[in-house]
Amino acid sequence: MEHVVDAKPAELAPAPFVPRQLNIEFTGSGSEYFRIWIVNLLLTLVTLGLYLPFAKARRIRYFYANTHIAGQALSFHGDAWKMFRGFVLLAVLMGVYAIAGHFSQIAALIAFIALCAVWPALWRASMQFRLANTSWRGLRMAFDGSLKGAYLAVAPLYLPLIAFVAMTQFAEPPPTGEGEADAAAAAAMATQGLLLLAAMAVVALMTPWFLTLTKRYQHNGFRIASQQARVDLPASRMYGLCVKGTLVALIPGLLAVGAGFGIAVAFGAFKDQEGNTLGLGLMIFMALLLLGYFVCFVMVVPYFAARMQNLVWSATRSEAVSFTSRLKFRALFWLTLKNWTLVALTLSLYRPFAAVHTARLRLEAVSLTASEDVAQWSARARGGMQDATGDIAGDFFGIDMGL
Amino acid sequence: MNAHREPPRLAADYFDGISGRANPVAVWLDAGQLHWAAEGSPPRAVAVSNAVWPERQRHGQRHVQLPDGGVLVFADAPAFDTWASASGYGESGVVRWQQSWRLTSLALLLFAACLLVLWRWGIPAAAGAAVAWMPEAVEAQIGQHTLAYVDRLWLKPSQLDAKAQADVLQRFADAANAARPATGPQPAYRILIRDGGKLGPNAFALPGGDIVVTDALVKLMHDEPQAVTGVLAHELGHVKHRHGLRQAAQAAALGAIAGLVLGDFSFLLASAPAMLAQMDYSRDFERQADLYARDLLRGAGIDPRVMVVFFERIEKIADDEERHGLPIAFSSHPANAQRIAFFSQR
Repeated sequence: MEHVVDAKPAELAPAPFVPRQLNIEFTGSGSEYFRIWIVNLLLTLVTLGLYLPFAKARRIRYFYANTHIAGQALSFHGDAWKMFRGFVLLAVLMGVYAIAGHFSQIAALIAFIALCAVWPALWRASMQFRLANTSWRGLRMAFDGSLKGAYLAVAPLYLPLIAFVAMTQFAEPPPTGEGEADAAAAAAMATQGLLLLAAMAVVALMTPWFLTLTKRYQHNGFRIASQQARVDLPASRMYGLCVKGTLVALIPGLLAVGAGFGIAVAFGAFKDQEGNTLGLGLMIFMALLLLGYFVCFVMVVPYFAARMQNLVWSATRSEAVSFTSRLKFRALFWLTLKNWTLVALTLSLYRPFAAVHTARLRLEAVSLTASEDVAQWSARARGGMQDATGDIAGDFFGIDMGL
Repeated sequence: MNAHREPPRLAADYFDGISGRANPVAVWLDAGQLHWAAEGSPPRAVAVSNAVWPERQRHGQRHVQLPDGGVLVFADAPAFDTWASASGYGESGVVRWQQSWRLTSLALLLFAACLLVLWRWGIPAAAGAAVAWMPEAVEAQIGQHTLAYVDRLWLKPSQLDAKAQADVLQRFADAANAARPATGPQPAYRILIRDGGKLGPNAFALPGGDIVVTDALVKLMHDEPQAVTGVLAHELGHVKHRHGLRQAAQAAALGAIAGLVLGDFSFLLASAPAMLAQMDYSRDFERQADLYARDLLRGAGIDPRVMVVFFERIEKIADDEERHGLPIAFSSHPANAQRIAFFSQR
């Protein structure tokens, strides 16, 4: 295999460096990862979950070793035992949170607020651990985002959500009495309904802003050698993406619901006849509703994933490198549909294949343009990043930290 | 003279971790040390135990991570595997399992078997242990919470007259006392009669010993008051075996395992098998409670067949409801026919 970049002999005058494109190649195999995944699963089950961090380290190592950028693969240096310690710490935290909920509402609220307070710090620590333990061509990466920056980035969604939860926890329902209690209860329910609508509106407005700030925080923190990444991400483009995404979500959903109504009415579901017709019509209606929900997801998730990846990565650059992402929504949509169908049919045995195919599609859509010779890069002095607690935290909350 | 066998050498790229330059080197293993040398440069070495060795896979670049931060990159993976085994470097058992389809299939079977064992025995046993560990005071508190919640949403004070309520309580207390030699020590309990409104004829037990029974149920069995005693005995069985807490613990365990197995897709697929497993656990609980009820009734000298009338009337009400409402696809109670047969046994 020839290297894309090679060092030139010193006798010749160095020619001006022509910017060259570095492509990403993913060589992972679904069947091979399936075997790794099965053994991981068995060991995790047999150890009642204690093996999980080791399984995760093996998974990351496999995906890294198969991610080639300009012919050189990534390398994962994370120590699985450190990740295990972080895992135990987080299991304890989550356990305390779960138990607190059973004791009293106050305890649950305190635990919830404590978890919220610590979550951005864990998120940052997770990115620091993952990147500091990733290397390419022997050069370690790093995450330079500040702690304050992490809290500021999550603030647009955090503060309204916390306020809403606090309001619903402390709002006292009316005491059950006799007659007039019904009217008071109805008024209270109406107020709660309005509160819920207001909260949903705030969430809908704040989410694109939240996404902008967090993506900016992440991408401005990436570093390798002396290359510091910067991203040019105006909030308006994120709002545009979210609006388009919502429209994409609504159309199939409305179609499915409309078709469901039509069929249900055709079966005379709304006339009061013998139970059979009602049951059948209602079940068909429910099935179509589920189908609409499923179609929504199969369309919306790939749409956001593809467009977001393109938007954010194409706007990311460093001193000598610029990124381009050309992930087509249609390609991701068909792949997602195929994945979900096969996962459902094989009772989830297809999951590792799905993961590998999705990784290939998403990674190979990204390419880099380097305006200088990467062989000339040199590492900055690095401080140790030894805290692995955050990495497992990222998985616990189901947030994808990977590049 | 010693014929010292020259250890096999392999070509690699050395990245020193300080610059991005690739340095072609030759690598060899000798006496527990990993050596590498570039053309015309002195060789360097580290102990093999200090280096991070890659696992054997068909795909993926082989990287040996050196303790000082450098990396040795091997372009040809199969050549690396051949060289490593020729140099006497073995591989771990886990890798062997992963690279063999036969062993992987065996792993899959073992995994399915483990899941089955967990479902049938492991989770209930773990839930039982967790519940035994939970102090009664906490259990009582959970019960109080739930009662307050349920009282607020679904229940109103009972519409029965004081004498009717006292009769129900007295009859049950008498039966419980009479049956104590047969059932053994009974848990602390408190019977509450409420107007259940839309709940219809119903009874349920809360953690901590509160048992709620609705007016509608008392009125339904007005001509067979001992049937109410039987229902209360069934609920007392739930209290004794702490089914409420067990249910919560088992649901949590099921959710965790479903999440582990199904991962990203769990939100869509986990609900069905988890729900079915839950229903299965519920039927086990109901059978246990029925057994306790029958023992209590027999111990108190009441004919268990009094429950048969209750089941028949409940079934009729359910049928009426089905005609006007949603078809009931799943049930957490064992079929009424089974319960009738159980209570009719001599």
